Amino acid sequence: MTSEPKIPDPTRPAGRVLVLLDGSRLSLDALEAAADLAHSRGAEVLGIFVEEVNLLRSAGYGFAREVGASSGQARPLDSAHIEARMHALAEQARRSLAQAMSRRGIPQTLKLCRGQVVQEVLGLASPEDLLVLGRVGWSAAPGSRIGSTARSLVRQAPGDVLLWTRPRQRPQGRVVVLLNHDQGANHRAVRVGADLALQYHQPLSVLVRTTNGDHQRVTEDLLSYLQQQGIAARIRLLPMASASAVTRALQEEGASQLVISRTCSLFSEPGADNLLMELSLPLTVTP
Amino acid sequence: MTLPTALTEDQVYHYCPPEKLSFDTTETLEDLDQPFGQERVLRALEFGAGMAARGFNLFVLGPSGAGKNELVERFLAKHSATQPVPPDWCHVYNFESSDKPSALELPAGQGREFRKDMQELTNELKTAVPATFESEEYQARLQELQEEVARRQHQGLFEIQQEANRSNIAMITTPAGFTFAPMRDGEVIEPDEYKKFSDDEKELIESKVEELQKKLQQAIQQIPRLRKEVRERIHALNEEMVQLTLGGPFGELREKWTHVPAVVEHLDRVRNDIVEHAEAFQDDGNGPPSGLLNRYRVNLMVDNACTEGAPVIYEDLPNHQHLAGQIEHRAHQGNLYTDFTLIKGGALHRANGGYLIVDARRILTHPMAWESLKRVLFSGEIRIESLERLYGLVSTVSLQPEPIPVSVKVVLLGDRMLYYLLSHYDPDFLDLFKVEADFEDDLDRDDSSYELYARMIATMARSVQARNLDRGAVARLIEHASRLASDQKKLTAHDRVLKDLLNEADHWASRNESDLITASHIQQAIDERDYRASRVRERSLEQIRRGVVMIDTSGEVTGQVNGLSVLRLGAMMFGQPTRITATARPGKGQVVDIEREVKLGGPIHSKAVMILSRFLANHYAPMSELSLSASLAFEQSYGGVEGDSASVAETCVLLSAISGVPLRQSLAVTGSMNQHGEVQAVGGVNEKIEGFFNVCQQSGKVDGQGVLLPASNVEHLMLNAEVRQAVSEGRFAIYPVTHINQAITLMTGMEPGEPDADGNFPDGSFNRRVADRLAEFAEVGRKKDVNGDNGGNGNDSGSGGGDDDQ
Repeated sequence: MTSEPKIPDPTRPAGRVLVLLDGSRLSLDALEAAADLAHSRGAEVLGIFVEEVNLLRSAGYGFAREVGASSGQARPLDSAHIEARMHALAEQARRSLAQAMSRRGIPQTLKLCRGQVVQEVLGLASPEDLLVLGRVGWSAAPGSRIGSTARSLVRQAPGDVLLWTRPRQRPQGRVVVLLNHDQGANHRAVRVGADLALQYHQPLSVLVRTTNGDHQRVTEDLLSYLQQQGIAARIRLLPMASASAVTRALQEEGASQLVISRTCSLFSEPGADNLLMELSLPLTVTP
Repeated sequence: MTLPTALTEDQVYHYCPPEKLSFDTTETLEDLDQPFGQERVLRALEFGAGMAARGFNLFVLGPSGAGKNELVERFLAKHSATQPVPPDWCHVYNFESSDKPSALELPAGQGREFRKDMQELTNELKTAVPATFESEEYQARLQELQEEVARRQHQGLFEIQQEANRSNIAMITTPAGFTFAPMRDGEVIEPDEYKKFSDDEKELIESKVEELQKKLQQAIQQIPRLRKEVRERIHALNEEMVQLTLGGPFGELREKWTHVPAVVEHLDRVRNDIVEHAEAFQDDGNGPPSGLLNRYRVNLMVDNACTEGAPVIYEDLPNHQHLAGQIEHRAHQGNLYTDFTLIKGGALHRANGGYLIVDARRILTHPMAWESLKRVLFSGEIRIESLERLYGLVSTVSLQPEPIPVSVKVVLLGDRMLYYLLSHYDPDFLDLFKVEADFEDDLDRDDSSYELYARMIATMARSVQARNLDRGAVARLIEHASRLASDQKKLTAHDRVLKDLLNEADHWASRNESDLITASHIQQAIDERDYRASRVRERSLEQIRRGVVMIDTSGEVTGQVNGLSVLRLGAMMFGQPTRITATARPGKGQVVDIEREVKLGGPIHSKAVMILSRFLANHYAPMSELSLSASLAFEQSYGGVEGDSASVAETCVLLSAISGVPLRQSLAVTGSMNQHGEVQAVGGVNEKIEGFFNVCQQSGKVDGQGVLLPASNVEHLMLNAEVRQAVSEGRFAIYPVTHINQAITLMTGMEPGEPDADGNFPDGSFNRRVADRLAEFAEVGRKKDVNGDNGGNGNDSGSGGGDDDQ
């Protein structure tokens, strides 16, 4: 992004930007997005590369075979081979991180750990941190649009999580914040959405899922918050319809980024998260 | 021997008395529907235009400016009006073979409608099909499909994972795929610890891992098939949706065009094509690609919506492309592109079902145009091919439009020479142009023709937007038409000459602020034309006046006569006298034509001189040797001589040279002669007489001069007013002669004399003097032979044209 670096908001704790790197293409994309975000927030970046212990262990078995994810061909797998590949990937992650951050003059460190990815990341993340990761890594099962790691982290991470995916080219996209009218953490999501809108020079839309009857209150509440914060946004009320209706509304809105609160009722609906993932949009989940 | 009497004024000019014309001005005359006097052409046109069999195309022959085009167009316009209007033709995209656009035949006038229908359909497609794809229904069904496949894909792997977990085996993802390892409490067991397992346990685990690997392999290998299946099902869904969307508009169009099965077939093909390319209509922000929509357009090549009757097309520039059509290209970023919408029909397409008029000379001067026309006429179909392709100069891929069957009557216009040359040298010509329509140059002049000719003039005057003519002007024009035809009994039919004259007379009438064209305006137009072209004639007369060119118009001279010649310069002709001289001396029966010896004489002239030398021999020395060495020359002639019209003059001058009898220089002679001494007609008599008259006039007074001309030429005389006046006053005489003896009498004043039974001419007669002189020559020749003195004995070999002066 070419925007001028912003002075960090003193009212907000300056958390770090954590990037989960695994050497996959999408993680490199996510790295660029993280760099942009860190640049605008004036935050430092911590790269995390986890050597999955289960993988290392399984390579130690004499009978271990690796079945190709695309070809289905089985070939021998041994520890030395896997170790070497892990090292190579870690090295690549280091290089990419250094390259991406030095271009923007952002302080960075790479944390190499060995263990289980989710545990390692949760161990490193604090509530102020923004965790950035690719929606799927190389470890994604074919056909799945969201990796198991991402799924776990979205649900468990203490701070904001940005699931990065390559956004579809939309010249006039909007940043859309999806809320539930009765949830508590709305303001954080709106704040994050406003930041993103500012950073990407895109307009902001707030979609609120409501049940009948309490439109007035929700709108007033939101408007007063937005006014107070000096944020210009379009507010749209959605009935508590199915997840696919939400998807449609997002398409209509021309969403290019989505911010959603973890407490949003949508998450509790069956298959809803999957549907949300179908939208090929960078997704930020706030606690 | 009866001497011919000089012609009277009435004999040298065929007046048109105004009382023969029953009108005051041409305003009251109706236009002629049919051209006057061209019955032969009209019958040929009638026959050719109505003849359905192949190869009966027409060639209209006539000199340029005869009004062929106008006549043919007028005739065909009338003839074609009652014939049916031919169908429209369009080219449409060929979905089976894209480089061979198909041709569609539609009832006349419906091509436009079809084009409009297809345009509207295309516009509808642009919005209707994308709208279908954006509909809730479609999106929902698409999502269902995609989810189902994703689920099935995921399901396969998920089941394997579940099965593995049940057997305490972990399915671990690697950078390139998956692997299996024994697990405990969600973590992979350390390999070292695994070693401690009993062999049975290990065997169990490893066999399970192997089994899972195989299942996983199978599941992964299913994925491409699954993806293919989903693609197929999405395609089927697209097709279904598009079919439903198109049902309405296509149904209406099919109903509307049921009377043209070819259109219905095309509509079906379009529909299938749209269904096949349904994905291309999905909205990606830019709408469906224009290349795709262009395929559904209609190139209306022949539009007969406004045609009444059969078309009559005159192709002004009959080159290959304009006749057979062409495939144009569009330049885009330095490359040339074409498609079926850039096919352009030619004159043959437009004339299909009707008539095509083409100028023969023009079509022959354009490369391949003639060959293309013949090929179309032979094959009965038009195949559009570019010139460079015909020449084999390019081999790039281009279109080959479906040939269109053609039934056209071609009318070629050309001069006669072209017709005869084509008949002679082009073997196909007579197969294809079987009907010859020969234009009449001249029309008969008799009492019945005056009225029609006057109407013809009135029609012409109106067509060139000239004023009306009064009766006198028409009479003068009729007289001039006879002069142009060089015949008292004919009138010229030459359209251009008459129209030009009318235009010019109209101009002079306007200068004189006259409402009508009168005889004086016609005369002025004739005189002005004459004057404009008179520079060379004036110069020639001047040279005679100043004595540079020597012509005597009085007195008597031996061995010298005034012949008459005609010069043609552009459209003008004028006559002038030429001095012809002869010498005679003993020799071996030779008449040397000096013009021929120096190659200034043409073959006809040589023939005439040979005829006259045989006439001499036969007439004066039938039983003995002709001992004569004579020479003939056109004095001061440097440009060559052709024709036999001087043979009477040459005979006179030769006989004068032999006999020593002088000839009257006040008379000029023209006429050709045969071996029996009979005088035969020649051309250009009016110009010749007027030419000599002018010379006489400028050398002093015209008094007693005259011209001898063949009696058979009298009816060609249409002399100008000055000559007529001199004739009527007896100052200038025109003698019609039928035999050489009459000419001799007039030129010498002597009786020629008829031979008696022994072949001897009477004493004192001219012929006797000639015979005696020739006998003297023979005597001299014999003496020389006896003396053995042959050296240079007048033995003109002719090779040197030598003047063996001894």
